[in-house]
Amino acid sequence: MRLISKSVALAGLAIVAATPAGAQDKPIAIRGGTVVPVSGPAIPNGTVVIRGGKIVAVGANVPVPAGAEIVDARGKYVLPGLVDAMSNIGIAATDQDEPAEPINPANRAFEAYNPFGDFGSGRGGPLRNREILSGGVTTMYVGPADATLIGGQGVVVKTAGPDLAGVVVREPAAMDMTLGTPPKAAARARNRDPATRMAEVAMLRQRLVRAQEYQKTREQNPNGPRDLGLEALGRLLRREFPARIQANHPTDIRSALRLAQEFGFDLVVDGGQGALEFKDELATRRIPVILGQVSHPYVSNEEIPNKEDYPPMDERLPANLTRAGVKTAIATFSRSFGSLAPAGSAKWLLIDAGIASGYGLSEADVLKAVTLIPAEILGVANRVGSLEVGKDADVIVLDGPPLSVKTWVQRVYVGGELVFQK
Amino acid sequence: MKSSRLIPVAWLAVIATPAAAQTDETLLVRGGTIHTAVGAPIRNGAILLRGGKIVAIGTSIAAPAGARIIDATGKDIVPGMIDNHSHIGARPTDINDFPKLIGPEHRFLDALDWNDPDFKDAIEGGVTTIVTGPGSGENVSGMAVVIKTFGTDYTKRMLLEKGGMKFAMGPKGRDRYPATAMGVAANLRQYLIKTQEYQAAQKKWEDDGRKGNPPARDLGYEAMGDVLAKRTYVRAHVHPATDVMTLVRLKEEFGFDLTLHHSTEAYKVAPELAKRGISAVVLPLGPRIGVTEDAMAGPYILWKAGVKIAMHTDAPVISQKWLRLCAALAMRYGIPEEEALKMVTLNAAEIARVADRVGSLEVGKDADLTILNGPWYEPASRVETVIGDGRVIYERKDGN
Repeated sequence: MRLISKSVALAGLAIVAATPAGAQDKPIAIRGGTVVPVSGPAIPNGTVVIRGGKIVAVGANVPVPAGAEIVDARGKYVLPGLVDAMSNIGIAATDQDEPAEPINPANRAFEAYNPFGDFGSGRGGPLRNREILSGGVTTMYVGPADATLIGGQGVVVKTAGPDLAGVVVREPAAMDMTLGTPPKAAARARNRDPATRMAEVAMLRQRLVRAQEYQKTREQNPNGPRDLGLEALGRLLRREFPARIQANHPTDIRSALRLAQEFGFDLVVDGGQGALEFKDELATRRIPVILGQVSHPYVSNEEIPNKEDYPPMDERLPANLTRAGVKTAIATFSRSFGSLAPAGSAKWLLIDAGIASGYGLSEADVLKAVTLIPAEILGVANRVGSLEVGKDADVIVLDGPPLSVKTWVQRVYVGGELVFQK
Repeated sequence: MKSSRLIPVAWLAVIATPAAAQTDETLLVRGGTIHTAVGAPIRNGAILLRGGKIVAIGTSIAAPAGARIIDATGKDIVPGMIDNHSHIGARPTDINDFPKLIGPEHRFLDALDWNDPDFKDAIEGGVTTIVTGPGSGENVSGMAVVIKTFGTDYTKRMLLEKGGMKFAMGPKGRDRYPATAMGVAANLRQYLIKTQEYQAAQKKWEDDGRKGNPPARDLGYEAMGDVLAKRTYVRAHVHPATDVMTLVRLKEEFGFDLTLHHSTEAYKVAPELAKRGISAVVLPLGPRIGVTEDAMAGPYILWKAGVKIAMHTDAPVISQKWLRLCAALAMRYGIPEEEALKMVTLNAAEIARVADRVGSLEVGKDADLTILNGPWYEPASRVETVIGDGRVIYERKDGN
């Protein structure tokens, strides 16, 4: 625990927080349900045993430890907690975008992230985002919003945990960027750059060149003045974490691909509405895509964006990209709408997954696209994303088939703790 | 058929394409489960369509000679769905006339592009009729229209030209009056009183034998006069319960017909609405906007209290392709399946005042229906065939 808090406080370290020791001493056996480990075929009448915050057994005939609490899951479905690979949840609207500065690599989403709920309404004690937990989401990537070219560094968090440090899974998890309409529109409104797509790419390229120069200067003179932004971009260039570039229009995806090649950083395409024409290149270069909601073409924060800047909705995209060998996740790109919708759409991840299954993605692949694949893309698959021995005990119990609109999330365990119950 | 309501205006002929010859094609859809929106589902049912109308519905209908037969075995058949609240068909910059906080003289029709690509999404989602209109950037933003989503003959697509006057309790000026809920209420009340005075002056001139020049006409007061005369009704965008009650008071004071829209906290005052016969078009519960679980259960509470409710997409906020999913999400919280279907069919038609034409599968109504390959409410189900005015207007292609 101490180590974790310290690590979080250090800007320079990508950290992977361990499960707090001593949590969940009593084993729990979730028994009799259809177990969908995601990493392998479904197990009818299966059992999942969790202990010490970890999964210790998964299978059809696994021994139940003496003294274990038995959870009867007959007629139910047992899945890994869902992973929402893109969300702005927990960051107040006024904290999501720097209004006057388009490039903010030193900013850390974690430092604006509020897991406690609305300001002034929170209760003390363990952190529980009940709204999101009600949709079965236990892990999410939280980044700045999309009105700047570089919003800052994103973070992977759990939606429940003992305390702030305890919910962090990976920080920084990525350098969060946006190309296309959102930064352009925001800048135009203030009569400053980037007012065009040309300026967007030129400004990013200039800053990345600066970051290259900065690395050299630092090597030559380690005691020279520091620049936090260029340091963070240096870590991107050293491939300590990827760039997440939101790009929907093919023009923007092409620019993202070009920049990644030019500067040698790892790339994840966010949004990706126009990704189909790049499917072969994405597959060859092993560049993953995190799609927005299948039911909605705009991943942007604009309520009604300019249609001409977005390709039309293509519900077959998850299936077609997956088939082409592109690592493809489905995320919610959730943001809160004030007090009306503090959880945004994060809780509807499975409903959107259901839509994708109607458009050609098999149920097994759909479930992977909201669990294991996003976990892999986020670099946290050693901890979450599937029901496998040794992973965190993040388990959800559903009262019906995962993709039916009638199904409810009944129980959610995070790190072996029962953190939500319907 | 009450045809008096249909297209009373001459100008429509100007933009209309020449009327297509009335179709004599006869379609027999048979073999599926028919959800009529007016009774229990008919299993292994059949429905006969001719001349753009439904001519028979039941379990065993003999195929007339020459009829095209659509086999819907194992499928769900529902009425062509109706989205009671959307903004499609106009450019985003034409939806809100921000400089004018009260502009009842604005007509959405004057901004409507009948060929907008968004209509394609509606059709693919099985949505054949929509209310589309202005707002909600102003306290009164103008008149909505009720139209069909398909067809090239605009005269036939128009169902109701005075499709409801859009109010919105939200918009408050930051640097101009009204900037508070109190101001919005007072401003609306003042305008409604001026409308009454305008009407009184007109009436007096007529009662006095039309002597002298008539009172100067004002298109805003005339349009609001239609509301007070109940030739149309108020469609009010409203979220907090306190604003709902302001609308209830205005309705009582001025006697207009009222439907609440979005209606986020309407459930908190459900009995007040039920006893006054105020209907509610409820949250766009689509997957894009995840409102709190309390509010998600709101439609169920309203339904339970006896309030007539319909669902909406607010398209393009949510694509009309997923209107059915909005109803499905409401169903999750306790509304029975057939009642949830009514929220996107019959109830939506009744609230929009076009239920004599559309909204249910009944003999004499327009032959608008949607066939799905699974339960209409499941996300993974797909719309297979859409029939509008008795013709197949959409068929899902393999691999799509």
